[in-house]
Amino acid sequence: MAHIHLEDGSFTLFWVLVWWIAALCLIGIALYLLRSRYKPDPKKITIAAFVTAAAFAIFQVQVPIAGGVHMNLTPLIGILTGPVIGTLIVFIVNILSAAIGHGGWGLVGANVLVNFSEVLVGWLAFKGMKKITTDLFSLAGVATFAGLFTGNIVMIAVILISGIQGVHQTTAQILAGLSLLAAINMGVAIVEAFLTGLIVAYIGKIRPDILEGDRK
Amino acid sequence: MNVLAEKKGLIIFGAILLVVLIAALAAYQTTGSMGIEDRYATAVGLPLSPEEGGGDDTFLGFSAEGNHILYVIILGILIVGAYAVYKKYKI
Repeated sequence: MAHIHLEDGSFTLFWVLVWWIAALCLIGIALYLLRSRYKPDPKKITIAAFVTAAAFAIFQVQVPIAGGVHMNLTPLIGILTGPVIGTLIVFIVNILSAAIGHGGWGLVGANVLVNFSEVLVGWLAFKGMKKITTDLFSLAGVATFAGLFTGNIVMIAVILISGIQGVHQTTAQILAGLSLLAAINMGVAIVEAFLTGLIVAYIGKIRPDILEGDRK
Repeated sequence: MNVLAEKKGLIIFGAILLVVLIAALAAYQTTGSMGIEDRYATAVGLPLSPEEGGGDDTFLGFSAEGNHILYVIILGILIVGAYAVYKKYKI
């Protein structure tokens, strides 16, 4: 998915620190909001725990399409837990993934930003689309497409801004290459859109109170 | 009215799916099949890392990696199994 699969050393130390600091600021804001305004109840924390485990597991499973790409479940995180708790979830998932060699440690900051954008836009799209349709499957499916597309845009922006050490390609060439990569990622997003749509539709049928957007 | 609202959502979903599918297929035609790390390396101009491991990856002369027919068979078994469980424990 839009998770940046570059090794440590791809970005200069400066940009590693910039993205890490940005991610830590985001996490700090999320923690502040959780303590002061959006105090989560035990049910929401339980949902967050399950979603964290599911997202971490799915990160490691490559869907055998176009050579292998993994899903994220980040839009589902946004739909079920919202963007505040979702920020902490993507941080945990990225830390654990780096711990098992899935992506470099230096890229964790950048990947948190990428995944946060997916969570946020997925959540916003899910809430916003309710004015257009009541069908939970299509609500979640469209939210997934929107979230993952945004993640790809952020991924491309991060790499273009940071540059890659030791390569001689022009910005235009890197942009062209990453655009093709983003298109492949969106192909796998089709699978994730169906999966998220089915999960949300099922939850909506048996436990509609769990869906973030239905919370009062 | 409710039926129309539901259909509108599915139409939007279907339209996005179609556009994404066409774009993904076009990109796949251009790039070919490769792993995600190799895709990133190629996209940004990094050298491709050499294939890790080596030796015989077969089990009783049967190799699973890259075997698309096997993926379809396993996926089919999982879908049938999930459907059976769903039917048995349907809420």
